[in-house]
Amino acid sequence: MKELKKLIQQAKDDFSKVSELSDLDHVKSKYLGKQGPLTEAMKGLSSLPSEEKPIVGSLINEIKKSIEKALGDRKSEIQVQLMNDQLKNENIDVTLDGKKQNKGTLHPISITIKKIESIFNSIGFSSADGPEIEDDYHNFTALNIPESHPARAMHDTFYLNKEYVLRTHTSSVQIRYMENNPPPLRIISPGRVYRVDSDATHSPMFHQIEGLWIDKKISFANLKWVTQSFLQKFFENDKLKIRFRPSFFPFTEPSAEIDMEWNGGWLEIGGCGMVHPNVLSQAGIDHDLFQGFAFGLGVERLAMLKYGINDLRPFFNHDIRFLNQFKV
Amino acid sequence: MQFSKKWLNEFVDKDLNEIKLSDILTQGGLEVEEIEDLSLISDLVVVGEIIEIQKHPNADRLNVCQVNVGEKENLQIVCGAPNARVGIKIPCARVGTKLDKFEIKQAKLRGVDSSGMLCSAKEINISNESEGILELNENSKVGETIKNCLSLDDQIYHLSITPNRPDCLSMRGIAKEISAMTNFNYIKNIKKEIHENNILDIKINVKNDINCPLYGLRKIQKFDNKKEVPEWLKERLERGGIDLINPVVDIVNYMMLEHGQPMHAFDFDKIKGDIQVRNANKGEKLLLLNHQKITFFGDELVIADDKNILALAGIMGGLESSVTADTTNLLLESAFFNPLGLAGVARRHSLNTESSHRFERGIDFQQTINALDETSSYIIDLCGGEASNVLEERSKLPERKIINLRTEKVLQVLGLDIDKNEINKTLTALKFSFEECEGGFNVKPPSYRFDISIEEDLVEEVIRIYGFDKIEAIPPLTNSEMLGSDSSNRSLYDIKIAMASLGYNEIVSYSFIEESVEKEFHENNNLIKLNNPIALQMNVMRSKLWGSHVEALLYNINRGQTQIRLFEIASSYTKSNSGYTEKQVLSGVLYGSSQPEQWGIKEKKIDFYDVKGDLETLSEGELKFKKKDTPGSLHPGKSACILKNNKPVGWVGQLHPKWKQNFGVQEDVFLFEIDLEPLRKKVINEFNIPSKLLPVRKDISVVVDKNIAVDDMVQAVKKANIKHLREIKAFDVYEGENIEKDKKSIAFLILMQDTYKTLEEEQVNNIVKNALKVLHQQYNAHLR
Repeated sequence: MKELKKLIQQAKDDFSKVSELSDLDHVKSKYLGKQGPLTEAMKGLSSLPSEEKPIVGSLINEIKKSIEKALGDRKSEIQVQLMNDQLKNENIDVTLDGKKQNKGTLHPISITIKKIESIFNSIGFSSADGPEIEDDYHNFTALNIPESHPARAMHDTFYLNKEYVLRTHTSSVQIRYMENNPPPLRIISPGRVYRVDSDATHSPMFHQIEGLWIDKKISFANLKWVTQSFLQKFFENDKLKIRFRPSFFPFTEPSAEIDMEWNGGWLEIGGCGMVHPNVLSQAGIDHDLFQGFAFGLGVERLAMLKYGINDLRPFFNHDIRFLNQFKV
Repeated sequence: MQFSKKWLNEFVDKDLNEIKLSDILTQGGLEVEEIEDLSLISDLVVVGEIIEIQKHPNADRLNVCQVNVGEKENLQIVCGAPNARVGIKIPCARVGTKLDKFEIKQAKLRGVDSSGMLCSAKEINISNESEGILELNENSKVGETIKNCLSLDDQIYHLSITPNRPDCLSMRGIAKEISAMTNFNYIKNIKKEIHENNILDIKINVKNDINCPLYGLRKIQKFDNKKEVPEWLKERLERGGIDLINPVVDIVNYMMLEHGQPMHAFDFDKIKGDIQVRNANKGEKLLLLNHQKITFFGDELVIADDKNILALAGIMGGLESSVTADTTNLLLESAFFNPLGLAGVARRHSLNTESSHRFERGIDFQQTINALDETSSYIIDLCGGEASNVLEERSKLPERKIINLRTEKVLQVLGLDIDKNEINKTLTALKFSFEECEGGFNVKPPSYRFDISIEEDLVEEVIRIYGFDKIEAIPPLTNSEMLGSDSSNRSLYDIKIAMASLGYNEIVSYSFIEESVEKEFHENNNLIKLNNPIALQMNVMRSKLWGSHVEALLYNINRGQTQIRLFEIASSYTKSNSGYTEKQVLSGVLYGSSQPEQWGIKEKKIDFYDVKGDLETLSEGELKFKKKDTPGSLHPGKSACILKNNKPVGWVGQLHPKWKQNFGVQEDVFLFEIDLEPLRKKVINEFNIPSKLLPVRKDISVVVDKNIAVDDMVQAVKKANIKHLREIKAFDVYEGENIEKDKKSIAFLILMQDTYKTLEEEQVNNIVKNALKVLHQQYNAHLR
């Protein structure tokens, strides 16, 4: 029996000499295999007196368990060792650039228009659009600017022929929308507009956003709230101040320019007013029953202020180095 | 409209320097665009007199001047002006003067000491005239500051006057506005006396009294038009932006600035017979004052005598009958021409004059004859001469209707509760004639306000004077409504974001392009031309975005970019018999590497399948690609027509080599353009819970003719509806070694799955066999 007990230490010693998992299996069979001493001992049980059988039997089992445990422990040790060796060799430079695809960008004008739309959508304005090649009627006449009216000279208009122009403002969408939808109306309309003008602060093509709200009791005080709140939200500054300055647009009465306080001065940001009764009745709306306001904002101007860019040209010369700054 | 502030001050009873004039004008709707402050000139610039001149010893073009500036010793100043000569008085900037761009220092010019600078008008900021030094009036006092000498304690105001306020195209009009907005009072100068001592014995025959309801004439004879115009008048005209011509014309212009009434003076001796105010006949001609010869369309209002047309009424006089320095008898015209009658006439003849600008907008017909009198009086004061009586033809002048202004309307429009007394005050300040009535006022606007005809116009006047700042910002009380959204449409923004995620930079390019690009590159001869393009290379509306995009591409290639993906969503424009069509398209261009340059990844150039892959990702597989009918700007073998629901919706492909060569680019360029509307439409699919069973995958390789389209094969198998076949897809295409020359080998993967149980080996083999059978029968495919 003593011989058997010695096996435990013997096995432990043998296991510890082994450093490869495959060798360990080999050593394992020396002790626990079919020809191993324990198996032999178990076979010898039958020759023992019956009262000794259980005692010897359980002793053999204990020895077997001890060897198995020693084997398991050694196995774990080797595995840990192997993993440690592996980890020592597997060492990358985490400061190298990650592998990637280019992420594109949206144009600052798109981002600006989206932001404007979201703000107005949040108080129930829906979006509308209309053609850029516009007839004289919708661009001028229906907006209370009859042929040869001096106000036409305020717009440096691109003409295709006598009847068609490139729209000079998004106000033409007002008319088209009013023609097709009964009041109350609450829309904004962003889009391209065109004027014969080109320098650092003027582009022959630029973007406007038109707003229109017609209902029974929409007043100038409401116009002031809508434009003021909008600019405060857009510039994320609840203290932003605006002022209204009397002006003239044939399609609104009273008309005003919207100025915004900026760097200690006032900056013109758009035009607005109460929709002129002639415009309402021309579009088939009863101006004794309905009234409301319209406004037009320059998208580029808003984008330039928002992004602190003081030149209009980079918006239209497609330089990727400029565009890449406007991550989505 | 520009004017001298000092002059303006003559029409109000207090000093304009006491108020913030600029703010008041701007807040009243007369926007101040610019103020030129003449008083900023340094006091070190004084009147000097050139006492002696010698040639500069070392420079041919320079003179050495001895200049008396009123001190014991003369200053020696080197000067290059050709008009420098002994005896003239000139502005002399002494050492230490700070001018716009530099400071005058004691200096040596080519070895000669110089203690100052003799100045041109431009150098002291009083005009753009820079030729030679400014010669001052001989009576100027030597040593006096230029500021005093030229009364430069003044500012020039530039106002932007909106078309509705022609009354403010005059000093008196602006003064009236100031008095309405401040406690300053408007001063109405007393009309000067005229002694009429001869009879004007011609007749006025107004044939079109609709367009000319008031026409007045006076003759002034025996005057001298060679007199020197007084300094103050010159100053005011110059500061008003009006050129000096001769005394009579200068006075007429001066009166126009003061009253807003344009007038015209004819040389009486050039007039034959009576005066007619009539419409021109088609084809008649007139040589205008500016030497432009016009041919009449036939409906323009003209002034004529018995023989000839003398003037284009209210716009410009003729050269022949104009007043010159030698004129001694003149006929002075002051009239009211109907704005509607004059509308557009000047523009049709490419004219825009101070006169037409005012008449088109409307002048104060109540002042027409007064202005004639005052002008006559000024002319006689300066040039002598004898005045005749005034001949006047008058018919129906515009009448101002009484407008009812309800206080309730003011509240309703403005959302501001203004007291009736406040409204009363503003109407009084505006000098409108009115009376109170039940619920409001009955108002009659003055003759010079052509812009007030309805109640809303008066509401604007009230708030303009009362102040927009008094209106509170009030959120509207209204029925709320929720905005819905449409799941079957991709939003414009969704598409843009998807494109950006695929690595594209969005650009915004002009909608117009060069005609030759439209014709040749876009292959469109049905041009939409602009009548008045801003530049020749932007003279037609584009039918595709590609021309603009190639331009954007070249711009970036020239700046060293090697990996370019650009897109834009914009309208394309086409024309047909039924009119213009605008169609929004998604368009783009690709160039260079398909991925950014980075370590561990081999550079790969963009190819057709990169672009196609992007579009498939974008449309979530709803697009199909067929090789047919692609534009000539694309490579015929490497381009496709894009289809959605079997309808062509665009093109994609490689730029044709001839265009690549033409544009001078090194690498292949890829272009695409898809109609936006179909792209926005989205198939709303049904959603299923995935089967717990794993699909079985089998790979097969078949050999077919090279020209067979893989997608056709895939569709054929799918169409065969083989039971349990879920997916068939090419994962490799091979041509070359071991494959016959005109053949290609395609490796397909086939996924199979039963919903309820794992497929048996035999079933799997049958499915593959069936698929192969279809491929063999339809495309003569052989298992490799």
